[in-house]
Amino acid sequence: MTATDGPADAGAQDAGPARRRTAPWIAGGVGAALLLLVVVLATRVPADQKPVPSALVGRTVPRLVGTTLDGQRFDIDDQRGRFVVVNFFASWCVPCRQEHPELAAFVRAHAAAGDVTVVSVAFNDTPEAIRAFFAQYGGDWPVISGDTGPAVLDFGVSGVPESYVVSPARQVVAKFIGVTQAGLDAVIADVKRQGGFTDPAPGPAPAPTRGTSR
Amino acid sequence: MNTALGVAGIVLGLLGSVFGTLVLGVGLVRRNPTMVRSGRSYAWLVLAGALLCVVAMERALMTDDFTVKYVHDHSATTTPALFKFATMWAALEGSILLWALVLAGYTAVVARRERDRFADPLVGWTLLTMLVVAAFFFLLLAGPANPFTSVEVPPGYDGPGPNPLLQNHLLMAFHPPILYLGYVGFTVPFAYAIGALVTGRVGEGWLVGTRRWTLFAWACLSAGIVMGAWWSYEVLGWGGYWAWDPVENASLLPWLTGTAYLHSVMVQERRGMLRVWNLSLLCATFSLTILGTFLTRSGVLDSVHAFSASGIGPMILGFFALIVAVAVGLIGWRGDRLRAPGRIDSPVSREGAFLANNVLFSGFAFVVLLGTVFPLIVEALNGDRISVGVPYFARMSTPLGLALLFLMAVAPVLPWRMASGELLRHRLLWPSWVGAAGLVLAVLLGATGPSPLLAFFLGGFAAGAAGRQLVLATRRQGWRGLVGRANGGMIVHLGVVVMAVAIAASSAYGRTTELKLRPGETAEFAGHTFVFRGTEQQVLSNKDVVSATVEVDGRPFAPALNRFKFGSMVIGTPSVASGPLEDVALSLQELPSAGSDVVTVRVIVQPLIVWLWIGGGIIVVGTALSIVPGRRRDPLSPTSALPGDGVPAPADPVGVVG
Repeated sequence: MTATDGPADAGAQDAGPARRRTAPWIAGGVGAALLLLVVVLATRVPADQKPVPSALVGRTVPRLVGTTLDGQRFDIDDQRGRFVVVNFFASWCVPCRQEHPELAAFVRAHAAAGDVTVVSVAFNDTPEAIRAFFAQYGGDWPVISGDTGPAVLDFGVSGVPESYVVSPARQVVAKFIGVTQAGLDAVIADVKRQGGFTDPAPGPAPAPTRGTSR
Repeated sequence: MNTALGVAGIVLGLLGSVFGTLVLGVGLVRRNPTMVRSGRSYAWLVLAGALLCVVAMERALMTDDFTVKYVHDHSATTTPALFKFATMWAALEGSILLWALVLAGYTAVVARRERDRFADPLVGWTLLTMLVVAAFFFLLLAGPANPFTSVEVPPGYDGPGPNPLLQNHLLMAFHPPILYLGYVGFTVPFAYAIGALVTGRVGEGWLVGTRRWTLFAWACLSAGIVMGAWWSYEVLGWGGYWAWDPVENASLLPWLTGTAYLHSVMVQERRGMLRVWNLSLLCATFSLTILGTFLTRSGVLDSVHAFSASGIGPMILGFFALIVAVAVGLIGWRGDRLRAPGRIDSPVSREGAFLANNVLFSGFAFVVLLGTVFPLIVEALNGDRISVGVPYFARMSTPLGLALLFLMAVAPVLPWRMASGELLRHRLLWPSWVGAAGLVLAVLLGATGPSPLLAFFLGGFAAGAAGRQLVLATRRQGWRGLVGRANGGMIVHLGVVVMAVAIAASSAYGRTTELKLRPGETAEFAGHTFVFRGTEQQVLSNKDVVSATVEVDGRPFAPALNRFKFGSMVIGTPSVASGPLEDVALSLQELPSAGSDVVTVRVIVQPLIVWLWIGGGIIVVGTALSIVPGRRRDPLSPTSALPGDGVPAPADPVGVVG
């Protein structure tokens, strides 16, 4: 990969005493190509900050109603006009621990603006374990526990963690398997730029789907 | 305690490599031999640092010291001892630690072996290069990949254990260390190449030494790759052994360029040609190991077994850029001066065949690299997200593989410089009969399809050529006809042929189905009878195992599903029976659910799979034999084989290397 001068130069050397200066040119060309590759690689977004494809993206969000740990009722329909991040997780799941600080930072960053609601849906879990989880890893937002099976089925969750970003127009705009703050912000910025959230009526509006930004 | 020990080890290794680099650098620039000689001892400091880290890490793992973050995140009290030990390389930070250890080991061995030659600036620059690489890996350990961060643990804490997939098979304990011996081993020839470029001394002398290093690294990498394929086949239960996944490609890339080097270096030793090309191949091989590390550890690519993303990506990419800049710069600066006179007399000659070999292997490496990074390039150009799948790699690698088989058949019988048609007819007679026999046998056994049939013919042809050489050599030299570069190389060729035939047969004639069976029910598939007897549940300390007993032609199979505590996934354990002609693999897909007693079992029947692992073993044995010094050549004997001479390439021309 570093050089392509070999086989050619083997036969090119009987020309006489004057050695042709070919090596700097070939090395320069190869170096430039590799520099381009490095630039491409350096500007890539890590794969885990990118949304993954899902049949749900572009559709209206499924019904999500439940009781939070604090005993409050949570209904996603009450969140119209705000972005909602629906995060399926479990306190026993290792990747969930890894993404949790990112989610917590995301919540903190949007606390002042108040434009985002994060709701976690616990899967196969107990309230005590969830409370211990939040005590250890930080964060404070509504957690729906109890019988979350129907929600899991409606969203088509295949494993934890999975997160869905819902636009103010109640459309699912992205799905993540493991979130990062930057990845969530990129999707939200994308939807805002496309103006997809100004129309609160759920309709056949073109779906702002996966972001192309980085 | 373990944290302190580990951090001390990192500091020791980092300081040792940085000061060693400085001392050697100053000594070399000022031409101060005493200083250069003293630089040698820093290699031992680096090794001591790496050993200290590894001992601390293993101690923490074995004693469940959860105050060490790495143990906290990746181990559990219930993990069996063997897998606790292997957890060191089950996640990102630990794998960098393993890398540092292997690299420190190699550095110390180089310093020790070259202890009498430190007056030679080439050796000084070689060691300096290795210490720079070591400094980089210790820098990773000190910064973004520090495994010894300490954490507060609540009383009674138990960790999650390593990834369930990584505690399911014995091979996990061996595959990574051996793969790393290969990966990291390519640092040594790279360092010699840099030394040669800096000093401008591309004599053939350093090559003889590096050939051994490269052979050792190459054998380890080959073994590591085959073991990885074997693990994948035994554990993942989809019947395959190679998926062209980025991580697999990352290990294949340096293997391809390393293989090219092992062949073209012989042209340099015999004819003095291709010097710049060989240096470039060594630089490319090492750069590709670093690029592979970046691709699999920075999180830019989705992969089933990429490490989870971390902050080390930019540092590795920066290091890759540095290596490329240094290597390309040195080659551009020195290239013209190092180029050798001479040209290849005829394309139908040994050196012509080696050239073709190099074109094919480099092309193969380019194809694999392109397929691996293509999604990233497309995304950079227009933002689309695409994936390059198995069909691309299969379509590209089949013709390349067949062409390589053809070369393997023809090249060993070609003499250096020029071949006459009559000589070729004479020497190729026997191998082509073996090829024809292979083809007839395959057809009689029911083989169909152009590519597999061509593979069987060319495989037989190549095996015939390798066998011919071995027969002639042993007839003349007895057991010594099996050692040395040329003869050991032929044994490696036989191993490659065995693997190629196994790959062609298993990928062309594999059959798979899913059986839904009630207890006592019988099914037929691919000439086998399957009877489902019932399920059995077992509760172990770290997992619950449900296995289904299925009798295949009367032999009991027990494919199982494992649910690990703390894990969100269920991992299957396939049950595989290997035979010389055919493998039957069963994997449990679904257990009886409420109201039903039906299990779903996937059955995969593939021919000749076991020969993949046997072929891999032959390759390793052949490489080992080719490292053993062969017949010493009389310095007065002509450098080219005489016409009609059965052994065209005499063994290692110098014999033992200092």
